Amino acid sequence: MKLEVRDLRKSFGEKEVLHGISFSIESGKALGLLGRNGAGKTTTIRILMDVFHANSGTITVDGRPFHPKQFRIGYLPEERGLYPKKGVEEQLMYLAQLRGSSRADAKQQTMRWLKRLGVEEYAQRKLETLSKGNQQKVQLAQTLVCDPDLVILDEPFSGLDPVNSQILKDVIQEQIEAGKLVIFSSHQMSYVEEFCEDIVLINRGEIVLSGALSQIKKTYGKNRLIIGMGESCQDPGQALTDYMGELIRVVGRRKEQVIVELKADCTRELLLRELLERELVPEEFGNYEPSLTEIFVEKAGDQS
Amino acid sequence: MRQFLTVLKFELGNYFKNKSFLLTTIVLMVLAVGIIAVPGLIFGSRGKTEKSAEQAVEMSEEQAGQWEEVPQDKGEQEKYALYDVNGSIPDLSAFASAMGQNAEWLMCGNENEVEEIVNSGEAEAGFIVEDLLHYTYVVEDRSTYDTLQDTFSQAAAMTYRTKVLEEKGLDPSEIEALYQTQPESETRILGKDSAGSYAYTYMLIMVLYFLLIFYGQMIATSVTSEKSNRAIEILVTSLDSNSLIFGKVLAGAIAGLIQCVLILGSAVGAYQIFQDGWGGLLDNVFDIPVPVWAAFAVFGMMGYLLYAFCFGMLGALVSKTEDISKASAPVIMLYIISFFIAIFGLNDSNGILVRVASFIPFTSSNGMLIRVAMGSVEMWEVIVSGALLAAFCVGAGILAAKIFRFGTLMYGNPIKFTTALKKIREK
Repeated sequence: MKLEVRDLRKSFGEKEVLHGISFSIESGKALGLLGRNGAGKTTTIRILMDVFHANSGTITVDGRPFHPKQFRIGYLPEERGLYPKKGVEEQLMYLAQLRGSSRADAKQQTMRWLKRLGVEEYAQRKLETLSKGNQQKVQLAQTLVCDPDLVILDEPFSGLDPVNSQILKDVIQEQIEAGKLVIFSSHQMSYVEEFCEDIVLINRGEIVLSGALSQIKKTYGKNRLIIGMGESCQDPGQALTDYMGELIRVVGRRKEQVIVELKADCTRELLLRELLERELVPEEFGNYEPSLTEIFVEKAGDQS
Repeated sequence: MRQFLTVLKFELGNYFKNKSFLLTTIVLMVLAVGIIAVPGLIFGSRGKTEKSAEQAVEMSEEQAGQWEEVPQDKGEQEKYALYDVNGSIPDLSAFASAMGQNAEWLMCGNENEVEEIVNSGEAEAGFIVEDLLHYTYVVEDRSTYDTLQDTFSQAAAMTYRTKVLEEKGLDPSEIEALYQTQPESETRILGKDSAGSYAYTYMLIMVLYFLLIFYGQMIATSVTSEKSNRAIEILVTSLDSNSLIFGKVLAGAIAGLIQCVLILGSAVGAYQIFQDGWGGLLDNVFDIPVPVWAAFAVFGMMGYLLYAFCFGMLGALVSKTEDISKASAPVIMLYIISFFIAIFGLNDSNGILVRVASFIPFTSSNGMLIRVAMGSVEMWEVIVSGALLAAFCVGAGILAAKIFRFGTLMYGNPIKFTTALKKIREK
C-alpha cells in the first residue's frame, strides 16, 4: 500500500498555512514528519484524517483517492486525551468500536494490548488513577486497539521513562514489520533516526527537506569533513581558517571537533597533505555524517 | 449509523452509571410514591388545632364521615385559655361545637392569667372576650397556617346571631338553614375546562422546565468536558461529528424521558393504589387526557431536542466546563421567557400571547401544550406549529453538528456564536 500526498494547500481565513505539502509513504516503512512547533504538521495530519478539508491537493492510496473512513487509522495525538473518569477497558472498547471493530473484537484487542503494554491489571480502574506513564501506555493502546492500517504517532515518547520507552520502541518496530504505514512525528530526533527510513521536514507550511534519511545524511555530508586537532590546539576553528582558508570553510563545531567544507578543487588528500606540511597534525580526520538534529536546525532554524 | 448507535449506547451508559443520576431518580421516585401514599402525613400534620372551619365545610360528606370516625373525646382534645370578661358566652360546649373543635376551656380570671397559661404551653392559645363581637386572641407563636382566630370569630358570630334571633323570637336553625341553602346546578362545558386541566398542564410545564435545565446543562458539560480532557482529539478523528453530536443529544433526551417516565409513572401508579385516601383530590393532576399526553410527547420532546442541540453547540464553543454557565445563559434566558409566557398563559389560554407563542419554535413546546390542554386550537394550527418546530429541530441539529465540528478543536478562550457562524459560512 502506498499513500501519496500531493500539493496540499490549506488556508485559515486569509492566511495560508500549508503551501503545497507533498510526500509519500509505503507499507512497512515509517515516515518521520518533522518540523518546529506551528510548522503545519498537525494540520497536515488532520487533513489526512479528514478533520480539516484541504483547499487543494490530493491524497491517494495506490493511485486511488484516499477516504479515511475506508481505512482503520490509529492516531496518538500530541494533545493526549481520554476519559479520566471512565474505566480503562470500557473506553478502549468504545473507541475500538467507533473505528469499526465488533464488540467481541474490541474486547479481545483491548485485553491484548493492555497485556502487551503491561497494564492489563488496570483494565477495570479509572484512567485518572493511573500514573502518567501508564496513562501514556493506555493512550498507545487506544491507538492500536482497532488494528489500524495507518498508524499516526505524534510525540509518542513524551512522558515515558527509559523502560517504557523501550517497550514503545518494540511496539512501533512490530507495527513497521507487520507492514503498517507509520507516520511518526517527534522532536526527539534520535527516535526518528531509529525508526524512519524517510523524513519530511516542514517549515512554515512548506517542505524544506524530504527523502530517504540515509541519502539526506549522505548529501549533507558531501564535501564535508570532521577534523579533531587535539587539546594542544586552543582554537582549532580559527587555526584551520587561518592556515587553510583557501582550501576549506569552517561550517560548524561538534564538541572539540570542527566541521569543514571543502572548497572547489580541494580534495581530502590535498587537505591532509597541506595540514601535515604545516605540521598541523589532526588527531581525527574523517567524513562528516550529520545528525538529524543538525540537519533540522540548519533547515528549520531561525536563520534558515 | 453504527457509529451513532455506539455513541448513543456509550452516552446512555454514562447517564445510567452516574451515581447522582441514579440517586436523584430513586429519591424522586420514592418521594413521589411517599407523598401520594401517605396523604395523612400532609393533611394530618396541621392537627385539629388549625383545621379551619372552612375546610370542615368543604369536606364532602364521605370525608366528614371519615373524620367523624375518629372519636373526638380520645386524646385529640385541645386546651384553650378563656377569660370571658362579661360572661358573653352562654354555653361553652355549644361554642366549641360551633368551632368544630373538641376543646377543653381553661377558665381564667384576668388577662395576665390567660397570657401565663399560653406562655407556659398549658394551652394552645387564649381568648379574652369582651363580648361576642369584641375579643383578643392570645398565642405564643403564630404559624402561617394558623386559622384558629378565624374559626373562633365564625363561632362567636354564629353565637351572636343565634342570641339576637332568639331575642327577636325567631328560630335560628331555620334562618341558618335558609342561609345554607344552595341552588342545585350542573355544568355543561362545550370547550375545555381550564379549571380542571390547570393542575396537570402546570405539572407538565414544570416537568419540561426541569428536564431542559437539568439535561441541557449535562449535554453541554458532556461536550465541553471532551474538549477539556482532549478526548475530542481522538473522537473527531474516529467518527463524523454528526454521529457524535446527535448521539450525545439523543442520549440526553432518552435518559431524560426515561427518568421522567419513571418518576411520573411512580406517582401515577401510587395514585392508582392510594386513590381512595385522597378522595379524588388529585384527579385533576393525574387524569390527563390522551391528546394532552400526545401534545406533551410531540411538542415537549421536539422543544427539548431543539434546546438540547443549542446546549450542545454552546458546549462546543467553550473549552472549560467552568465557562458553560456563562455561555449557556442566553439559551437558559430564552427558555425562561418561554416558561413565563406559559405561566401567564395558564390563566389566559386563548390569549394573543399564547397564540403567538404556540407558533414560535422556541416557545411552542409550552405554548401549544397549553392551547391543547386548556384552550381552543384547530388541527391545522397544531400541524403548522409542529412542522415549524420539527424544521427548527432539524436545522438546529445540522447547525449544531457544523458548529461542533468547527468548535471542537478550537481550544482556549470561548468562541463567540456569531464568530462561529461567520467561519462556517466562510467554509
